[in-house]
Amino acid sequence: MIAIVCLDDKNGMSFNHRRQSRDVCLRTWMMEMTRGSRLWMSDYSAGQFSEKEREGIWVSNSFLEKAGEGDYVFVEDDALAPYERKVEKLVVFRWNRVYPGDRYFDLDLTGGQWHKAETRDFPGKSHKRITMEVYTR
Amino acid sequence: MKKKMISGMLLLALLLTLAVGCAAEVMKGPSVTLESIPEYSGAAYVAVNDNEPYFTQEEIIDEAFETYSDLDALGRCGVTCASVGPELMPTEERGDIGSVKPTGWHTVKYDCVDGKYLYNRCHLIGYQLTGENANERNLITGTRYLNIEGMLPFENMVADYVEETENHVMYRVTPIYDGDNLVAGGVLMEGYSVEDEGAGICFCVYAYNVQPGVEIDYATGESWLAGEGSTSGSESDEVTYILNTSSKKFHDPSCSGAEDIKESNKEVFTGSREELIAQGYTPCGRCKP
Repeated sequence: MIAIVCLDDKNGMSFNHRRQSRDVCLRTWMMEMTRGSRLWMSDYSAGQFSEKEREGIWVSNSFLEKAGEGDYVFVEDDALAPYERKVEKLVVFRWNRVYPGDRYFDLDLTGGQWHKAETRDFPGKSHKRITMEVYTR
Repeated sequence: MKKKMISGMLLLALLLTLAVGCAAEVMKGPSVTLESIPEYSGAAYVAVNDNEPYFTQEEIIDEAFETYSDLDALGRCGVTCASVGPELMPTEERGDIGSVKPTGWHTVKYDCVDGKYLYNRCHLIGYQLTGENANERNLITGTRYLNIEGMLPFENMVADYVEETENHVMYRVTPIYDGDNLVAGGVLMEGYSVEDEGAGICFCVYAYNVQPGVEIDYATGESWLAGEGSTSGSESDEVTYILNTSSKKFHDPSCSGAEDIKESNKEVFTGSREELIAQGYTPCGRCKP
């Protein structure tokens, strides 16, 4: 599966079970990127997408178990480390801001197992610059 | 007709009483004491009340407002509260706040502090939320660590949420002092998104007014390097300057150039020369302050 996460400057993901941030431009980008593939996420994550967008999203609270090879998973408030072996590729969106955090990204991207293959910046609605980083094994 | 007018006035009076009552309630703030907060142990903030803010249902309002307590007898800031919405957010760059000298203020530098200066004039309700500049009822003596590591992440989260959704966020910041101390031990920060009933924003945290590596006497604001046991920071000279906020020049108060400044562009500043230069001011070429 291909995991998608959004992180702040301290690799934070959420605080008090709420996402650190959101951006409509990022959601549009994500829908474009995953077009033609299955995109999985939790009920909580799906709540920020429009009804029309939700029609193409696979929603399950055990989505990390259900997702198969080539499927995308959007992870906002779950641990990813227990599923690392299933992850073929990682897409990290960086907010380029610091937010409060109590859940942090739990994969080590610096240990040599993951390699940054691509970096791209794009403007958001409420974020001046969002950075997309793609990591491959 | 007269009867209608009287009942209309009575209704208005009742509404005003209710509004004032609500504002008075929200400005009492939660009764959290320093004794109930765990000692600082390396995290800039800690969840209080399971991260549930103390707002009552009546205090949660989907129309933008902002309120700041009057200074107390010691000149200290109190509870600040706002329903932050797009209507309140600033549209201009932040202005100069150097004219405000909150209680316990010292201009003091340490090499171990990011940007050297131990203290910041710390907005209780961040500028990015309500656009308040030099409001003495909204600025406390806060460490760089409180400002950047403790409070800014929450301000960023609320500001970006409001900008993205155009919803309102109830936001209250309460400085907590031990007795008559001039410097707050920390601030209680509460946030709750109104239209989605806390689904987007919901927090209640205490942010510590500490600076790793530096010890602080909260009664006075005096400070020293941890382990040294006496005042050891380099206290910058506090000098009064006259500012031209238009030309961004600063003058000695006796400078003839200072007398020529238009009243609308003139400001008195007490603090360090370095602080002014850091704010983009340059010294007058005539009096060379």
